[in-house]
Amino acid sequence: MDERTLDAVLGHTPSPTLRLLVDLVTRRIGSRDRAWLEGALAIQPADLAECFTVAARRVGKRALDLTSDEVAAIEALGVTSPLGGWGLDELARVTLLVSAGGRLSPSELEELVEGCYRGGDNRERQAVLRALPLLPNSDRLLAVGVEACRTSVEPIFEAIACENPYPAAHFPDLNFNQLVLKALFIGVALDRIVGLDERRTPELARMAADYASERRAAGRPVPADIGRVLT
Amino acid sequence: MRMFDPHIHMTSRTTIDYEAMASAGIVALVEPSFWLGQPRTHVGTFEDYFASLLGWERFRASQFGIRHFCTLSVNPKEANNPQVAEGVIALLPRYLPKDGVVAVGEIGYDDLTPEEEKYFAVQLELAQRFDLPVLVHTPHRDKKRGTERSLALIREIGFPEERALIDHNTEETLPLVLNTGCWAGHSIYPHTKMDEARMVALVKRYGSDRILINSAADWGVSDPLKVPKTVALMRDSGIAVHDIEKIVWHNPVAFFGQSGQLDVADLEERRAIDQSQLWEGNSVLRGQTPVVERAAPA
Repeated sequence: MDERTLDAVLGHTPSPTLRLLVDLVTRRIGSRDRAWLEGALAIQPADLAECFTVAARRVGKRALDLTSDEVAAIEALGVTSPLGGWGLDELARVTLLVSAGGRLSPSELEELVEGCYRGGDNRERQAVLRALPLLPNSDRLLAVGVEACRTSVEPIFEAIACENPYPAAHFPDLNFNQLVLKALFIGVALDRIVGLDERRTPELARMAADYASERRAAGRPVPADIGRVLT
Repeated sequence: MRMFDPHIHMTSRTTIDYEAMASAGIVALVEPSFWLGQPRTHVGTFEDYFASLLGWERFRASQFGIRHFCTLSVNPKEANNPQVAEGVIALLPRYLPKDGVVAVGEIGYDDLTPEEEKYFAVQLELAQRFDLPVLVHTPHRDKKRGTERSLALIREIGFPEERALIDHNTEETLPLVLNTGCWAGHSIYPHTKMDEARMVALVKRYGSDRILINSAADWGVSDPLKVPKTVALMRDSGIAVHDIEKIVWHNPVAFFGQSGQLDVADLEERRAIDQSQLWEGNSVLRGQTPVVERAAPA
């Protein structure tokens, strides 16, 4: 989609991030689905949630396989979420939410995001969580991020905990510490938690030390990377 | 040996599990209300869930000669959704006094949030009002701190310790619990929580007073036969039969008996199976010939 088409579809000039996201999706889909995407980007707020769901059927779920130019363009915009692990459906859904973020009021956006999460299947929930750091006023969406950490579905947990700058930027200490402990508990590498070093606290170190002690008392191995948060 | 599994989520299990449990010697169980793997978002879902624990699940158990009791609550995880939690708290006074409800539970901490603490306290008070014991879940993460805070809250509220069962203990939390008047449950799991050999070591060290074991089997990787399997290892490891019977029968009967809902004489008499019965017109059978026993010897 060229710049003028997108501006016309949206009725305003999009943020550079949205322009990039739309471009990344558009290059990967055929003309029929491009027409769908144009419609979806301009759709009435009431129909957004349906578009959000339908996106996977339209664009498919294949891996993005970003080119080095694309990676450079993403980094140049200061987008810190690595998009490499996303599916095309997730990228399209994140794009729809970011587009909505540019034209809905904060409370409308909050309602949309919470609705997409609450009514979402696993894949939709992953997309919502990956979108969080890219949305305006995203501190209002904290409840969705925190709730996602309570999931038993590992890909959903990873979508909020891993390669996602949102928790380190917005979670209160209690929730951030629980996220780290859950990662240790289910064997998710701590290296994947963005901003972990800046969020280390004596309380987190105490929790990690207690967990190591509990594992040793049970005669069970202690996660190899726990040292990252022990001090 | 007759056994009691004081914590198992049978709604997640099949009739083959009931058959295997019955043939291994389990004659009674407690099914605590808990979370179903993903959060419920409507109060009405809890209403139907409680009704199924009190109705269909109890009938299903009876079809295999097993007595089914339950505990009801807002569980710690879902206490973090105040809208739902408030609604379920409002429902509980209609459900806690029903037949076969032997405690308020699972309650307690999961992430140790202020909301969890609020509904933990509210439900300790509900248990006092309905004269019921409580079954307290301890968290997977930050377990020792969670256990310490649970014991502190029970003491602070003045809830009678002998009416609280603290569950999912480990080597590090059991001594904390035994230092109070509370009872100590242990969930024997294939991978997490506690295993059979570690449990044997704990019994050798701490004895059998106020100690219970359960399978906590649910929809995850778990084993509804962990109570009989642990009994077998305790026996092979030289633990006295008297102590084993106390852990898997007399202790759970004594603890949940505090609800006034267990008729010990009735429990000790094996109930005849009659699979020709229906419940609201439904049978557990799928075309088989029903098993109908006459009053069978124990």
